[in-house]
Parts: sequence; C-alpha cells; structure tokens
Amino acid sequence: MRKLLLWGSMLLLPCFLFAQTRTITGKITDPEGKPVPGASVLIKGTRTGTSTQTDGSFSLNVPEKAKSLSVSAIGWIDQEVVIGSRTSIPIVLAAKDKTLSEVVVTSLGIVRDKRSLGYATQQLKADQLADKGSVNIVGALEGKVSGVNITSASGSAGASININIRGITSFTRSNQPLFVVDGIPISNDVDRTNGGPNGTLGDNQPANRALDIDLNNVESVNILKGPAAAVLYGSRAAAGAIIITTKKGGTANGHTEIIAGSSYSLQHAEGLPKVQNQYGQGTNGIYNPTSSSSWGPKFGSTPTVANGLLVGGQPVPYQAYPNNINDFWQTGNISDNSLVINGGDAKSNFTASGGFLKQNGILPNTVVQRSDVKFGGNTVFRNKIHVGGSVTFTNTLQTGILGGNGSSAVNGVLALARSIDLTGSLKKGTYQNADGTNNWPITGADNPYYDAYKDPLKSNVTRTLGSLNIGYDLAPWLSVSYRLGIDAYTDRRKQIFAISSARVPLGQDLESTIFRSELNGDLIISAHRSDVFIKDLNVTALVGQNINQRRSQVVTVQADALAIPGFYNASNGGNFAVGSTEATTVQRLLGYYGQLSLAYKSYLYLELTGRADQSSTLSPDKQTFFYPSASAGFVFTDALKINSDILSYGKIRASVAKVGSDAPPYLLSNTYSKTGYGNNVASFSFPYGSVAGFGLSSTIAPQSLAPEFVTSYEVGTNLGFWKNRVSVDAAYFNTVSTSQIFQVGIPPSTGFATKTVNAGKMTNKGLELLVTVTPVVSNNFKWDISANFTKIVNKVVSIFPGVTSFGIPGSAFIGSTPSIKVGQPYGVIIGNVFPKDSATGLRTVNSGTGLYSTALANQVLSNPNPEYTMGITNTFRYKGFNLGFTFDFTKGGQILSFTAASYKARGAWIETAKDRDQPWILPGVIVSGGKTVQNNIQIPAQTYWGVQGGLQSEFNVYDATVFRMREISLGYDLPAKLTKGMHINYIRIAVFANNIFHVAPNAFFDPEVNTQGAGNIRGLDLQGAPNARTIGANLKVSL
Amino acid sequence: MFYMKFSKKIFLLLVGAGFLLGSCKKYLQVNVDPNHPTTVPPTVLLPTTTIGIAFANSNDLGRASSALVQHIAGVANQTQAYDVFNFGGAFDNQWNNELYDNSINNCIALINMDSATSPAYSGIAKLELAYAFSLATDIWGEVPYSQAGQGAVYTYPRFDKVQDIYQGNPGAGITSLFDLVKSGLADLAKPGTLKPKADDIVYAGDLTKWTRVGNTLLLKFAIMLTNVNPTLAKSVISDVLTGNNYINDNSLDFEVPFSSATGNQNPIYNFNYINRPGDQMLSQRLLNLANSLNDTLRLAKFFTRPSGAFVAFDNGANSVAPLQATRSNYGSYLIGTTGNAPIRLLTNFQVNFILAEAALVLGTSGDANTYYQAGIKASMTKVGMAAADITAYFTANPTVVTLSGSNEDMRKQIITQKYVAWIGNGIEAYDDYRRTGYPVLALPNNPGGDDPTVIPTRLPYTNGELTTNPNAPNPRPLVDVKLWWAKP
Repeated sequence: MRKLLLWGSMLLLPCFLFAQTRTITGKITDPEGKPVPGASVLIKGTRTGTSTQTDGSFSLNVPEKAKSLSVSAIGWIDQEVVIGSRTSIPIVLAAKDKTLSEVVVTSLGIVRDKRSLGYATQQLKADQLADKGSVNIVGALEGKVSGVNITSASGSAGASININIRGITSFTRSNQPLFVVDGIPISNDVDRTNGGPNGTLGDNQPANRALDIDLNNVESVNILKGPAAAVLYGSRAAAGAIIITTKKGGTANGHTEIIAGSSYSLQHAEGLPKVQNQYGQGTNGIYNPTSSSSWGPKFGSTPTVANGLLVGGQPVPYQAYPNNINDFWQTGNISDNSLVINGGDAKSNFTASGGFLKQNGILPNTVVQRSDVKFGGNTVFRNKIHVGGSVTFTNTLQTGILGGNGSSAVNGVLALARSIDLTGSLKKGTYQNADGTNNWPITGADNPYYDAYKDPLKSNVTRTLGSLNIGYDLAPWLSVSYRLGIDAYTDRRKQIFAISSARVPLGQDLESTIFRSELNGDLIISAHRSDVFIKDLNVTALVGQNINQRRSQVVTVQADALAIPGFYNASNGGNFAVGSTEATTVQRLLGYYGQLSLAYKSYLYLELTGRADQSSTLSPDKQTFFYPSASAGFVFTDALKINSDILSYGKIRASVAKVGSDAPPYLLSNTYSKTGYGNNVASFSFPYGSVAGFGLSSTIAPQSLAPEFVTSYEVGTNLGFWKNRVSVDAAYFNTVSTSQIFQVGIPPSTGFATKTVNAGKMTNKGLELLVTVTPVVSNNFKWDISANFTKIVNKVVSIFPGVTSFGIPGSAFIGSTPSIKVGQPYGVIIGNVFPKDSATGLRTVNSGTGLYSTALANQVLSNPNPEYTMGITNTFRYKGFNLGFTFDFTKGGQILSFTAASYKARGAWIETAKDRDQPWILPGVIVSGGKTVQNNIQIPAQTYWGVQGGLQSEFNVYDATVFRMREISLGYDLPAKLTKGMHINYIRIAVFANNIFHVAPNAFFDPEVNTQGAGNIRGLDLQGAPNARTIGANLKVSL
Repeated sequence: MFYMKFSKKIFLLLVGAGFLLGSCKKYLQVNVDPNHPTTVPPTVLLPTTTIGIAFANSNDLGRASSALVQHIAGVANQTQAYDVFNFGGAFDNQWNNELYDNSINNCIALINMDSATSPAYSGIAKLELAYAFSLATDIWGEVPYSQAGQGAVYTYPRFDKVQDIYQGNPGAGITSLFDLVKSGLADLAKPGTLKPKADDIVYAGDLTKWTRVGNTLLLKFAIMLTNVNPTLAKSVISDVLTGNNYINDNSLDFEVPFSSATGNQNPIYNFNYINRPGDQMLSQRLLNLANSLNDTLRLAKFFTRPSGAFVAFDNGANSVAPLQATRSNYGSYLIGTTGNAPIRLLTNFQVNFILAEAALVLGTSGDANTYYQAGIKASMTKVGMAAADITAYFTANPTVVTLSGSNEDMRKQIITQKYVAWIGNGIEAYDDYRRTGYPVLALPNNPGGDDPTVIPTRLPYTNGELTTNPNAPNPRPLVDVKLWWAKP
C-alpha cells in the first residue's frame, strides 16, 4: 500500500511543473494506414522530442511558441508538420525509395531502427505467416528464419513443435526460446501426460502452448537470436526470444477497420512408406492369425495344413489389403474464422478480436479446437499518462491418441499384417466386441481404432493473458513506464483406457489438472538526449527493474481398475495409489538492468547493457548474479560516404554478451520420495494397502548452486547492393555455455542416480545468412526472393570430472539414449553397435549363426544435428495477384526410426518382399583363427530383415537429409474499383498448401519428425504419426 | 531551478527502488520443496526395503535366471533374448532401482537412523541388506559392497571381491555377510522403544521371527561355500543347528506379501498376466524333468494347463510358439488368484535341503535323507498339494524320495528337488546350479551372447554402472567367467 501511494504521488507531481506547455499527440502511419513505430518527432529547431510507440503514436509536450515538428524515420522521407492550433496530429509518411531499413521490436518491446543494432534479429510480417495452413505459430516460421531449427513432433493435430535458436546452449534447461507477446513473457511449455506405462515415449503428442496464439491476430514476429539481443530479458531468454506483436487499433484517419477472415483446408498424410502386397500374416512362411508380421505364405499359395492356410479342411480367407495401413490416416480438415476490429484514433484506440479454429486431424479421433477473444485499448489520460492494456482469453481443446512402442494406435497400424482388413470385420465401426471389449486377435495389441476411440487423451486449456502498461513522460527526453503482465492457464486433462485395452487391461481414468502462471512486471525509466557532448551524438539510456514469478501445480488423480465399463469418472476406480500425485512449484526472480545506447551521426552505434538477477532457486550466497553485454554497429557506407551504385548500404556489427540462468526450483535439499518399483513390464507402487513406502530421492543435493552462463561472441554484416535490390545479412557466432546446472550421473551403486552440479562446457559455432533479392520490380510486377542458410556446429567440451557422457533428462529407452557426450555434438543417441573387423572395416559375423557378433554397448548410434539447413521463399506480385512459395532443405543429421524398424522387421516394407524366397547373407566377415573370410552363411529373409529391423539397431539410423516444398500460396486482391463503392478496403482470396511434398534421398519415410516434440531429446521416431499435407483456401475482407 | 526539481523526482524514484530492494530477501525465500519431505520416520522406509528385495528377486533378474535354469522358455522380447544368453543393455533397472538405489541405500539409511534409539529397525535392515548384497554378488560376482549406498561419502564405490564379501577382509575394511547378519541379530536382541508394527509387512513386528530369518540367512550363505571354504561353512551351519532358532516350519517362511490391488501385485503376475502375457511359458525341459519324476501334480501348482495338458516350449527354439491361450503359464502357487501370492525368499523346504546337503558333504549333524524327505514334503505342502497326494507320491516314487547311490548321486537328488521346489525363484536355482552343476542342463537351441558354448555363470554388469564408475572392472568380465564359489 505504501508503495502504491509513493508511486501515485510521483505520478501526480509533474502536473504542477509544466503548466506553460501544451501536449501534442499524434500517430504516424504509412500511406496504407499502418503505424510507423520508432519514428523521431522533434520540435523543429530543438533537440527536444520523442519517438513513436509500437502503434505509431506519440505524445510530446511542446512550448506554446513552437510552430512545427520535424518527423523522421528510417526508410521514410523526412517531413515537417505545422502544428497550428491542433493538439492531435495525424502524420502520414511517404516511403523513401528502395532503402534498406526497418524498425524492429526488440527486448522489452522497445522499438528500434534495425540499423542501430549490433546483433542479429529477423522480423517476419503477418503476410509471411498467416493464411498458409499453419495452426501453430512455430510451424509458420519453418523454412523462413536463419539461425533457427524447427522440427514438428508429427502431423498429429496439435503436436508440439521444437524450436532452437542458434543451437542448444544448455545441457538440461529448456532450450526453447522465450515467447513474448506484446511485451509479456508467456509459457510455451509442453505438459506431458503419462499415457499409461511408457506413455511419454511417443505419447499423445501434446501441444507446446504457443499453440494458443491466434495467428490471425499477429502483426509481426521478431526473432531475437543471440544472447546480446535478449540480454535485457535476462535468464528467461538465454535461448533467444520470439517477440510477437499483435494487431493494434488506431488508424491515422480515425476510421474503424473490421477484418474478417475465413479459411478451410484439408489435410492428408504425406510421405508414407511403400508396402509389399505379396505376402500376408504369419512367420517363417506359415500363416498365423495372431502374428503382427507379414512373413506368412505368398498370396495365391495353395492352402495346406503345413502353411497354415488350411484349417479343418477349409481354406482360410487370405488376400492382400494394399491400403490397410494408409487408409487409417484419414482426411483431416481445418476451419479457421477470425474477426478483428481496430478502431479509434492516435490518442485513444481499441482493438477487439475473436477467432475460432477447429482441426480434425489425420489420425482418427484427433482434434484441436481453439477459441479466443481479445480486447485491448490505449489512451492518453489527461494528456499526460499513457495507459494501455489488453486481455486475451483462449480456450484450446485437444484430443490426442497414443503413438509409440507398445500398444498404441500408431504402432498398431504399423503392425498391421498385409492381409488384415481394417475395413472389414475389424473396421472402424466394429472395432470392439458387443460388450465394449477389445476384439483384436493379436495379443498385447489393440485394434488401432480401439486405441484411437477408447483410449484417447483430452485436454481442455483455458488461458488468460492480461497486460497493463502505464507510461508517463517526465520530460520530453525522460519517460517512465510500468508494464505488468499475467499469463495463466489451466489445462484439465482426461486420459482414459477402456477395460481390456492392451496397455491398461483393467481400465483407467486419469484426471490431471495442470496450472501454470507467470507474473511479470517491468519498471522502465528511459532517457533520450541528442547532441550530447558533441554534435550528432545521441544517447539513449534505460534503467529497469523486473519482477517475475512463476507458479505451477499439477494434480493428478489416477483411478485404476475400473468397475463399470465405459464409465470414465474417478469414482469408478478401484485403486488410486499408483499415479495420483501433486507437484507444486514456485520460483521468483528479481532483475535490475540498464542499457546505454550511443549513436553518432546515424552510422556509428555502441550499446552497453548490464543486468543483475536474484533468483529464489540458487544458493543464498550465489543467488545474485550479474552479466553484461556490449554491441557495436558501424554503417560504413554512410560514414565513408560511399555512394556506389553497386554497394548501396554496408554495416558491420559485433557483440559480446553473457547471460546467466537460474536453476529449476528445489534442488538445494536432499529429500525422500514415494517409492515405486519396476517399469512398463512389471511395476509396484506404494502405498501397499494402507502402508506407505518412501525412500531417499535419487539425486544428491549440491553444497552450493550457482547460475549457469552462456557467453556469446558475434560478428555480422548487413550489405545492400544495387540500390538494395540485393541485401545480405550474415552473422558468425560462437557461443560458450559454462557452469551448467544439471544432474550428473553417478554410479548407481552409490544409492543415488545423480547429483546436482555446476559444471561442464559446450560450444556452438555457427554461420547464418539471410539474402533477399528483388530480381524484378516494375509498376505491376515484383519478384522477391528471401533465402536463408544456417550452419551450427555444437560440441560438448566437458561434462564433469570423470564423466564422459550422460543421458538427457526425459523419456527414452535404455539402449537408444539421447545423450550428452564429451567430444560429440549435443544429443547424440547412444546405443549398441555391431563390432567391426579392424582390418576390413566390415561387421563381424558369428560363424555359427550367420548373424552379427554381439553388439558393443555405449556406442554413438546416431547424431540428430543437421550439417546445415536452408530455406528459400519466392514471392511474385502482379497487380492484385500474389504468389509465394517456400522450399527448405536440411542436409544431414540422423534419425533413429522405430517406424522404419517396424516396416522392416514385420516384413511390410516393399523391399522385404524382394527375393524373399531366396537365401540372404548379411554383409560382413567371419573372423576365426586369425583368418578373415567374407560371410557366406545363408539365412532366411525373415532373419535378415529381423537383424535389420531391431528397434534400436544401427540399421534403423537414417540420414535425415530432406528437401521439402514447405508452402505455396496464391492470393488475389479484388480490384479496388470493384470494392471501393461498397466501403470495402479490400477483399483478398487465397489458396495455399503446406508441406506439399518431400524428397528424402536416404530414407524411405519422412525423416523430419521428432516424436518427443519440443524439448531437448531429438532425432527419435518412436512409431509416430506421419506428417500432414495441408491444402486450403482463405477469404479475407477488410471493411 | 529546473535541475533541482528533477533531482527531487529522481530522489523519489531512488527511494522507490530502494523500497523494492529492501523487501526482496523475503520475497525470494520460496525455495522449500512442498512435494518431497526432507525427513521421514523409519516406518516408511522399512516397507520400501522389504518390497525392494522381493521385487529384485522376482522381476527381471528372476526371469533371466529362470530362463537360464530352464524353468521357463522365452517366447518373445527380453526373456527370449535371455534364454539364448543375449543380455545387451539389460538389468540397469535391477541394479539401480531395485537393489542399490532403493533396497540397499534405504537399508543403510535405516541402520544410520535408528541403531541407537530403535535397534529393531536397524536389525531388520541389516538382515535385508545382507540379503540384497548376497543377491547382487551371487548374480554379478564382484560388486560394490563395503562402499555402496553411501553416495555422500563414496562417489565411486569400490568393487569388492566375492570372497571378501562372503568372508570379510578386515585389512580392506570389509565386513563379511556373516558378520553383517550377526550384527543384525545382535541389534534385534537389544531393547528398544520404537518397534515396527504394520510397517513390517512380513511378520507384523514379531522380532523373534526376524531372528529366525537371520539364522536362516547364515545357512543360505554358508552352503554357498561348499566348494571354497567348507570349514567355515560347516562351522556356521553347526552353530545355527546348535542354536536351533531358524526357519523350521512352513509357517515361519520369510515371504514378502503382495496383493491383488493394481500396483501391489507381485511382479510374477504383473509381468506374465498383465503387461507381457506373451513373453514366456513353461520350458519343455522342466516338463520333461517333471514327467520323469512323475511330479506333474506339483508342477500343476507352478504352471497352468489351459487346455487340460501342459503346453511347453523348448528353450531357444526357432519354431512358432503354441497359441498363447493354450500355453502353460505360471500358476496359482506363484500368482495367487490375481497377483496376491507372496514372493518367497527364505523357506522351510530350502532349509531342509541345505541341511541335507550339509549333512552329506560337510558332515554336519542330522540325517541327510530325513532332511531331504522333509524338504520335499515341505515344498509339496507349501504349493498346496493335499496330504493324501503327498503320501501317494512318496509311496509311488520311492526311488525319487529316497537318497541313494554315491554322495554325488545323492547331492544331485537333493539339488534337483530343490530346483523343482524353487520354481518361480530362479535366482536360488541358478545359484545352486552354478555351485553344484545340478540339475544337468543342456544348452538351449541357438545360444549366443558372450560365449554360446556354456550356460552363463554370471550376468554382465549394467551399462549405467560401467559408464559412471571408474572402479568398475573394465572391460567387464564375460559371462562365462566363473564366480569364486562356483563349481570348478
């Protein structure tokens, strides 16, 4: 309360100080009415002025005698505006021709001229993101941003999408960037529900929570790539930041704009493996109706008792169903409707919007449904205080079905023998017996439709995002503002398993409530002075204070052993002890930061920042930590007055930045936990009846815990050629991560699995390149090309004395463990590899069996990190037409594919039918008695492919090189003369397609999947759903 | 003037900032874990360790050893691999979560916690600890022992030799398993205020029965030394016989109870009937043995006959397994109705067979044949055979139930009966097989692994321990390297 009074009195004070001035407000826009943020507004002939906000508005105290304003903005022609008697002045700027400049929203929502930055950012506008078939904003960035790797978990509706900016910089912390919407950090967490035993290994593909963002309402996205860019956000943005700016109200002419958009698209599975249709269900050439393999007799074989096709004197029905796998992936659809209303003028304006999206996925019974409403507004209160705020409410429903090894819908489909008819007696409508139980003949598995319809996970997220800004200009050169943001959501989940489901035969009703909230407040005081000390030296200084609190609570009631079939309510459970849990966390952070920006003559820039954080999660003696950054930019073409037709713009830049990060909460004390034994094959959990069982937790707490740090060195250049028809933005960076906070594996014989340490070092060296070219531009026609290239080399330098590798926390199978290994890039998968003869380099074969020698454990099985990635977008504009398409290319990286293993070991892949009746020989050598001979031991095809098809086998590691047509869209604006008379700004129709096709030269499936979704575990395809191709059309009307 | 007014405002700002700073220390004091306790009473640790040793005995190590001794045959997945000696990547969960990180460390925590104030818990914990360590060393040979389970003290525990674990090595600071048990027995004899009640899920706090467990453990450990230290073996067994306070009745058996409730079922049921019903079944070789002994009535308590007859599978066979619905799976004695059979760790029949063997080969007191017959009867009674059926079996099969022939012949009879009695507890049968060579087992079909020519004499160390502990033997011993106490 005292605090409030103090602030109140401070805010009132200036009212008495400036009675002799008057306040001019206004809004600066481009000719289309879009705001121009960051424009400089000076009282003519003085150094007094201000710059425009994100929404283009400004407010300036001017002396009574002031006559006119000088307005300048990079990329726009300077203007002088006569004030006259006006207090509200709309200003429309005219574009300078072909200049290379843009303003971007940087840390803390500060609008900056890109030319002044000493680090890399990349901005995408709404027209590069929306209406292209993406539901998730992260997916809409794919192929378009340099320095960024994006991989979707699968084509399952709502599946999370992993995004890493400039590689992985922390051993175990989240390496997802911070998502910031209109200055407010929001959660992009992925909450996993353990779908029964082994559920997280290829689970129901839960969303990353950026899914809750309505793309229709996004004005721009700016990607802050390195720590230098994000340093003012502190710890939260150590992995970079995605700055999202939503649409704002307030046009220069005060008109209200209403934009209505509607789109509808269809989705199909893309890139499915080819299957054989010569052999049906069975093993060793013998029909077996309970087999999940297609190693049975050849179709058309004469039924005999020996081949199993003659039972009781009657031939069994036995034929190929060529589409039985592919028909399971259904036609999905997405409908997306939105309405955005922006109104008001430069002084007071509002925005209101609503959206409704519904997606029926390519997997049966998978749905995403998102409804959102937003209201926001800004006003200048008593001409002194800027007040703005917005509230967004989102409700996102998601229904997902299980993938992954073990009994799951996806695994069930992949285990369909070629002769099983999923459209016949076991079809969709009749996937169960009359009593609702499983009718699948294969033990340990369900009818895939039974899995889909009887064992789904439903998620219901209600999310509120609120923000409030109060700003006050203490003086023309000094302003203070406070920004408060709250992001809170509750995800109510229900995972059910019907009685008789293979995974949970006794049935289960799992109710889970996941709550997360983040409260973030920033006090920012900024000052701007021109011509400090010397002429043309402009100084901007900023100090700020940040308060951040994150809370989470996950409460789960797991009702096992259901009594009444089909009744999914916790009251129906017979046992609640196994998975019922509660986990509550709170962590707090206080930050103090400052930034000093010097600009000399608009060509030499220097920026220094410093931030000190205090975190609740670190040891009291180590909880305060400081980290600085410095960056510089030099526009040498301006400085040296180079006025070349070839080189029209040139800037070099460099930065050094350090960012510290705190720890997850509660690592500082040794604790006890409830005991559980076993895993998915057999398990026990306390309480035993009413007897409780606890034991020491598996981690030894540290004596002391300090923050982890990332230090980044970056040099870069921006070049423009031929009047900026060609521009290049290049950066080289070297990021060094040190003092990592992680649980290092210690010998289990200590009685503990891990201990928490500060140790380790990892480097990321990378090159990123963005080239934009406008090959043709004329009155009616324009062709733009934007190409990006990213190469990042990650290396784990050290872990902890005596430790050469450990598994990345998360769910994985022993034997294919995503790991951190010294000398290797982050995330290599460690498993068993067949030994090779040192002389020939060939695998050694057991002379008795004709199979490979026993595999060596703890070998690097695969490396998920690509060598480089590229993307290229072409845009053609001709009169009202607009054609854009994006390709991307990933070179290298490897994926371990359980999907491929399934197709091979089960004899379903088309290659497994070739020469099946002939003997096969594994390539390799037999070493015995000092002699090495070529392996010539013949084995059956089934054995051969069995060796090739081991789930964790090196034979199922595939090169993930893939070329993809990511997007294509064709838009058309109805001619203005048609729409003008109807008070319509524009009518735009578009057709688009997404993930059109891919070419993977070294994989027979689409290698661009990552079953574990957003997170640090990459390069695993654990029987996940295929990717989806989206084709749709869109109509947008602006009134 | 202008300047002064502004400094006033800046002053106020600074005061405001100072106010925020001043309150931040308390604001940050929120790092107390609400999800996990930092101290617990011994009553919640004892159930953990008791279930732990039973789970370790009957989960994956039990399945692997049951396949190696050909009680069962693998049909799919891990058991199928174990059947033919392929153990790649296996047993981490057993080493880590069942033994060292749940049973052993919490036994040590109990010992450290209460040896002064409540010796009952300390005493029981020492017995359970000795059992857990013996299980580990009998499976893997050299294992962390004297420095194990004390992460705060020893980060890289030493691997102690099998002979040091069994016999102690004062020079290296190693207490023998025998002394560990004796120390536990001494604790049990001390007066204490805090005694277990319902948290002792085996004996409900009856410490006299735990004393019998301790003495029976001494018998179990001693008989392992017949090849390597018969003198010690004989003296330990003789002392226990003199004390006459061991498990000598089925009602005293050390068996850990499980229930039918989800999450509380015994692992044998949970694996074979809930999670992996198609992975393993009755071994054809065990069926052949039971047939040769006319012992199928007892076998029917161990294994089911869904189609009326036993349906078995030959170990390691490549042929198609019988339809799952017809297979003989573990039966009522081992699974109860739905997972509520106990896991038997030390039994009366075991004691009788030990004493029979000891009388025979060590010359301890008592008549080998009497013990032998008592062992068979105890087993048959325990599995639920009717008294009349037992009598009928003894009458019909005098050559089976009577020791005859050379000492070695008689020993073969004893161990073969012990082998049948231990169906479901493959670890005990596997220990005896490696120590005595009985029953004589043929290689499975299609053996592989480290050495396809012999049934493994140990299991390989786990990847988790090998990669983290520089004191682990490197390279690991192959599975054909015999343990210290093994039959030469």
